[in-house]
Amino acid sequence: MIYEVWVLTWRELKKWWGRRGVFIVSLVTPLAWLGLFGKSINFTKIFSPSTFALSLPPQLQPYAPYIQKVMENASQTALVKLFGTTDYFSFLTTGMLVVFAFFQSAFGGVNIVFEKRLGSMNRLRMTPAPRFSIFLAKIVGTLIRIFFYETVLLVIALALGFKPDVTLLGFILSGVAIALLAIGFISLFEGIGFNVDNQEIMFSILNLINLPLMFASPVLFPLKQMPDWLQEVAKFNPLTYTADIVRYNMLGLHTVNYVEAWAILVGISAVLTIIGAWASLRVLENY
Amino acid sequence: MPAQVSIDVRGLTKRYGRLLAVDHISFQVYRGEVFSLLGPNGAGKTTTVSMLSTLRMPTEGDALVEGYSIVRDRTAVRRIIGVVPQDLTADDELTGFDNVLLMARLHGYRGKEAEERAKEAIRFMELEDAANRRVMYYSGGMRRRLEIAMSVVHDPQVVFLDEPTVGLDVQSRRHIWDLIRRLKKVGVTVVLTTHYMEEADELSDRVAIMDHGHIVALGSPDELKSRIKGDRIYLKLGSPDEVRRALEAISVEFKDVSEVDGQLVVKVPSSADAMPQLIKLLSSFDVRELRVVRPNLEEVFLELTGHGLRDEESFDTFKFRRLMGAMRS
Ligand SMILES: Nc1ncnc2c1ncn2[C@@H]1O[C@H](COP(=O)(O)OP(=O)(O)O)[C@@H](O)[C@H]1O
Ligand SMILES: [Mg+2]
Repeated sequence: MIYEVWVLTWRELKKWWGRRGVFIVSLVTPLAWLGLFGKSINFTKIFSPSTFALSLPPQLQPYAPYIQKVMENASQTALVKLFGTTDYFSFLTTGMLVVFAFFQSAFGGVNIVFEKRLGSMNRLRMTPAPRFSIFLAKIVGTLIRIFFYETVLLVIALALGFKPDVTLLGFILSGVAIALLAIGFISLFEGIGFNVDNQEIMFSILNLINLPLMFASPVLFPLKQMPDWLQEVAKFNPLTYTADIVRYNMLGLHTVNYVEAWAILVGISAVLTIIGAWASLRVLENY
Repeated sequence: MPAQVSIDVRGLTKRYGRLLAVDHISFQVYRGEVFSLLGPNGAGKTTTVSMLSTLRMPTEGDALVEGYSIVRDRTAVRRIIGVVPQDLTADDELTGFDNVLLMARLHGYRGKEAEERAKEAIRFMELEDAANRRVMYYSGGMRRRLEIAMSVVHDPQVVFLDEPTVGLDVQSRRHIWDLIRRLKKVGVTVVLTTHYMEEADELSDRVAIMDHGHIVALGSPDELKSRIKGDRIYLKLGSPDEVRRALEAISVEFKDVSEVDGQLVVKVPSSADAMPQLIKLLSSFDVRELRVVRPNLEEVFLELTGHGLRDEESFDTFKFRRLMGAMRS
């Protein structure tokens, strides 16, 4: 079983490396987001006291340093109130790490739809390899890809000014939380992929799941900014808890009870994995 | 020595919704023979092979492959069979060698041994030159051979080939035929499906003729052909007058004699048995040409089912749907 999972994972990774341009294309999206949201919407600049000071009438200029001080405090308080930190870029980067893993986890399922169509899934089904190893190898393969991209994303974010305040343990725990989220969703999408015959339907289902879950979570904007009903929805969203755990560990921020967040994340991930495994194996044995 | 049974099919049945694609078929395949399922598109050949190779679950019935049930011992069956399906299954993002290596490994071979086996299978299928190229750059014939290499890398006892030469040019087809004969030579039991009667005739020890989910006849190609009242002997004679007189003379001994386009056609159970007598009867006639036409499987099929082997080829809805699907993607 372990050997088969290894062999099938080797296959996944070999195919992945062989594809031209995959690497670049997969990084463009998160980079664009980091650039667009994180760097151009610079909230500190908007409230920038120095630009404000220049526009003061001449009779107030003597008081400028004092006013500037007050303004600065006010804008900082406003940002802290809004995001819990003055550094929106760091807030966003942590969110991006979560949402990127989430989006990438869909690729295992999309792959399955294509492999069923192209016949290579049938080829695997002809071999005595345990059916579960086929399911499992997709999880492992996709997970390896995700963490490769996450590392690249992290390095780029650090270069652009991401300032985490993190211990080694906190770093590992963040990774574990992201992995749990990814495993749950890779499984779910595998289950869907095995039961869908057409890639158009697959993509529609993905959009149906991905976009709402992303917006009903604090990955891009804090929950407090959202309408009440959306905050309620976010309570059932594993992204909420993953983002919270990552921010707790990397930025010292959190909105939910830390232990509760872990419990809920583990629970949701387990349920998704079981559903995904069941739906996949059902089809793998006889379609 | 009585033939040993390799595959024992018992009441095998598959329903797709309301369609009864395979209807309670039973037959045996002997160890070491080449056994063909011959039938037009939609006859249920692929469905039968898919069930025997554990890719689909039978709705009813069972089959034992080398003693293992395709319903209960599916993993055991998978260990000892090789499958070359109708649709190509190699991963075209990997090289030919990697595809074969993957199969060796998934059959439990490790390290150097897996690599050696993969190389051996590639050599056997004469693909050495293309082994390290990605499959997307392979020609149709090469892809077929790669599929076979992937299916025999673990030395299976039974190999299923579903329409292995469909869409190939004559040369590639002959090549595949040679490879199938080589499989038989090394003792592999081969189950082949085809809708080309020459292919079944050329390669098989025994043929099961399939139509609408049923097996309508089973036997060696010669047995099957002898079922349709034997051979036809065509005679060309010197003059129309001779033809008329010969017709009378032959009709004394042979029941089925007719004139077609100025030639005499004598239908006989066996041309070998009939020939001495016929030659005696014709001794006083000016025979310009004598041609024996042995019946072919196409005629057998026609006689048994009332329709041809290819007449459904022009529009196969299932294939059509799949084609449309592939175009959308
Ligand atoms: N997955 C499927 N779903 C529904 N009908 C199918 C399916 N596969 C095959 N059929 C139908 O079952 C019948 C037998 O098909 P098949 O076994 O592919 O025949 P053959 O291989 O002899 O051409 C056909 O009528 C075909 O349309
Ligand atoms: Mg077929």
